[in-house]
Amino acid sequence: MAEDVFDLYDREKLLLAEGQAILEHGSHEEIQAFAERLFDRFSKLVRENEDLTRHSDRQEQRLVKLNRNLKTQTLELEQQRSRLEGLSQQLAKYLPPQIHEALFAGKYDTQITTQRKKLTVFFSDIKEFTRTAESLQPESLTEYLNDYFSEMTAIALSHGATIDKYIGDAVMLFFGDPESKGVKEDARACVEMALEMQERMLVLQRRWREQGFDNPFVIRIGINTGYCNVGNFGSDQRLSYTIIGGEVNVAQRLEANCDPGGILISHETYAQVDDLVDVEERSSVSLKGIDRNIKTYAVKGRKQETDKPLRLSHPQGVHIDLSPLSLRADDRQLIATQLKALAQRLEDQ
Amino acid sequence: MQIEATDRTPAITLTHNPLKLVMAGESFPEDVSAFYGEVITAINQLATTASGKLEVEMAFIYINSSSIKAMYRIFEGIDAYRQAGHEVQVLWRAEEDDDIMQELGEDFKDRFQALNFTVAQHG
Repeated sequence: MAEDVFDLYDREKLLLAEGQAILEHGSHEEIQAFAERLFDRFSKLVRENEDLTRHSDRQEQRLVKLNRNLKTQTLELEQQRSRLEGLSQQLAKYLPPQIHEALFAGKYDTQITTQRKKLTVFFSDIKEFTRTAESLQPESLTEYLNDYFSEMTAIALSHGATIDKYIGDAVMLFFGDPESKGVKEDARACVEMALEMQERMLVLQRRWREQGFDNPFVIRIGINTGYCNVGNFGSDQRLSYTIIGGEVNVAQRLEANCDPGGILISHETYAQVDDLVDVEERSSVSLKGIDRNIKTYAVKGRKQETDKPLRLSHPQGVHIDLSPLSLRADDRQLIATQLKALAQRLEDQ
Repeated sequence: MQIEATDRTPAITLTHNPLKLVMAGESFPEDVSAFYGEVITAINQLATTASGKLEVEMAFIYINSSSIKAMYRIFEGIDAYRQAGHEVQVLWRAEEDDDIMQELGEDFKDRFQALNFTVAQHG
């Protein structure tokens, strides 16, 4: 160690080194003088040691106390977290999942603010619900309704819908807020969801019939795309995240005009999904507050189903492979007539 | 002498005009001898480098055992300055709710009884 480096224990070390030399070669007087200095140094060290030990004990006591407090606080925090988690799970059932997630991630603003956005709005309700409900025992009605809402909600969430509210037997939801994939994709997601819902209803109806529900629920669906006001409506005490506007009413009207088991969409929605589904044009509807006639279309099914190539092959020399949508309408008609004539001749043989 | 505080070492200021030593902060240096060596040497030299009243003010938040050993050396140097015939006034400040620092100040006061030593609490 370099000589200029300070050592806190330099005096003690020096004394020890000195003592070793004196004990080996020192005179009686030298040893006595050294013993006195050693005693003096030792006395100071004992006092320092007492103080250090006491200080160390105090620090330990503080640490133990802090540790206990920390454990208590950790336990309380864990209980609080658990309570909040339970509360969050309960609240999640009352809120659109996107809003719930945003709220708990601290990303959602609960100010009373709304914005105008182009959304695709969906309404559904059960045909003749009141009459159907009256024919069922309350327990059965509850069971079938829960079944129905659970299945429809699962489908809606899997397509990314924002569930606005359940109004009795009706469901109101929309696409485009708080998350949007663009107006077109939102509309397509909504129509795809509606198709899956009606497909699922067929399965549910079969199941319900097997359970003794002989006149099972049939739903009507209306879908419209247009500008709505979306956001938090209400007061500081009670807010509702919802949508309002004439286009919302259009969706509701479409639902009312829809065939049972069907899906009725407006022209605005059809414009976004015309390559996705086959439709049948229906009579226009007019609505108070909307200064235009609303063209309506009943969705007949997914276009890709009807667009599947028509194929027929037989070893005796028959080979047909047609993609109907790639043909002009007059060509389609001509080929259909010729095939019918051939079929007739084949039957007549 | 002026040493800035770090998260492990206190701020230390030693001025000759006025003659004053101030130490404040937390003290758990990685190498206590290296950190306090300069201070202890300067204090030990006061009897030959300075004169007049020495004011000492210390306000620690946390101090580890090795640093306490260094503090003994500092107080010994301060006491040696007193023994050289100079007036010395020590103010040990502990935070209001810090019993540990309060009691440590009392311990030093008890060990260096010849010093004009005051232990005070501050908010």
